[in-house]
Amino acid sequence: MALDQNGPVWIVIAAYNEAATVATVVADIVGRGFQVAVVDDGSNDGTGADARAAGAHVLRHPFNLGQGAALQTGIQFALGKGAQSIVTFDADGQHSADDIEALLAALRTGSADFALGSRFLGATVAMPTTRRLLLKAALAFTRLTTGLRVTDTHNGLRAMTRRGASRIALRQNRMAHASELLHQIARSGLGYVEVPVTIAYTRYSLAKGQGLGDSARVLVDLSAQRLHR
Amino acid sequence: MIAQIGLSILLGGIAIYAWIESPRAPAVAFVAMAFAAAGLYFVWLPEHATRLAALAGVGRGVDLVLYVWVVINLLVLLNLHLKLRAQTEMITVLARELAIANARAPAETK
Repeated sequence: MALDQNGPVWIVIAAYNEAATVATVVADIVGRGFQVAVVDDGSNDGTGADARAAGAHVLRHPFNLGQGAALQTGIQFALGKGAQSIVTFDADGQHSADDIEALLAALRTGSADFALGSRFLGATVAMPTTRRLLLKAALAFTRLTTGLRVTDTHNGLRAMTRRGASRIALRQNRMAHASELLHQIARSGLGYVEVPVTIAYTRYSLAKGQGLGDSARVLVDLSAQRLHR
Repeated sequence: MIAQIGLSILLGGIAIYAWIESPRAPAVAFVAMAFAAAGLYFVWLPEHATRLAALAGVGRGVDLVLYVWVVINLLVLLNLHLKLRAQTEMITVLARELAIANARAPAETK
């Protein structure tokens, strides 16, 4: 088991119908000595079984709830297992396990409880122009609403200390969770730092990614939450 | 006259249903009964709706009723949406507890 200076590190992966990639992703991370928790978000393609065979702890939602809900489940599970650092990681193969160590190193300095991966400080491979524009628009919205001077938003590769993770309680089940998480970081008053990471787009990951319609839904979800409570 | 009778039966039914439900949701029942009573009033005295519309600067009574109806429906939709979100959150918490309670360790470490 990989230990950070303070204790065990857990990698949390939310996965919905990711049988094509999840085993490779999990095996790569497990091979580096990390504990992996895959939250199978109601898949019907054997994602959970593949992840477990590759060395992950598997938690299964009885039906599909969304990436935000799955991440919160994984974070809660990892905290219960005594994790001192938690890294969230995508199941579709876009992220590089090489970046995990850089994120953890940023936490080790003690100046931040959140290390947020930034593809715009790091690198992107085969990123379509439409996706770049969409992310820039989301970034402007996030900066406006959270006050955080981040360079990337909706990047699923991030690390947090146990203290940081304990302050996160995602209620946005679907894609709006990324904005909600930044809101909660801003509200927590805890420190954050951005770390350059590499995101490699593939035809598979783009097909599973977000489009313009999803962005509209994120805005509706965030607005509804403000009315709700 | 046929339309007035039909609408009266419908509105009367709504008022009775609201009265039955009032112990469970008194505020909603009160609003529903108030609107049903107002509806009955304007069904039988449409010229009063026109007078009220003129006072509000809307024009015809039927326009006033239509606008109010649209606004009420949108509020009902919003309320339902928010209630649905609250229920989804409760279901999520339940599903999460189940998932954590039934977590499975990696296959190698059986």
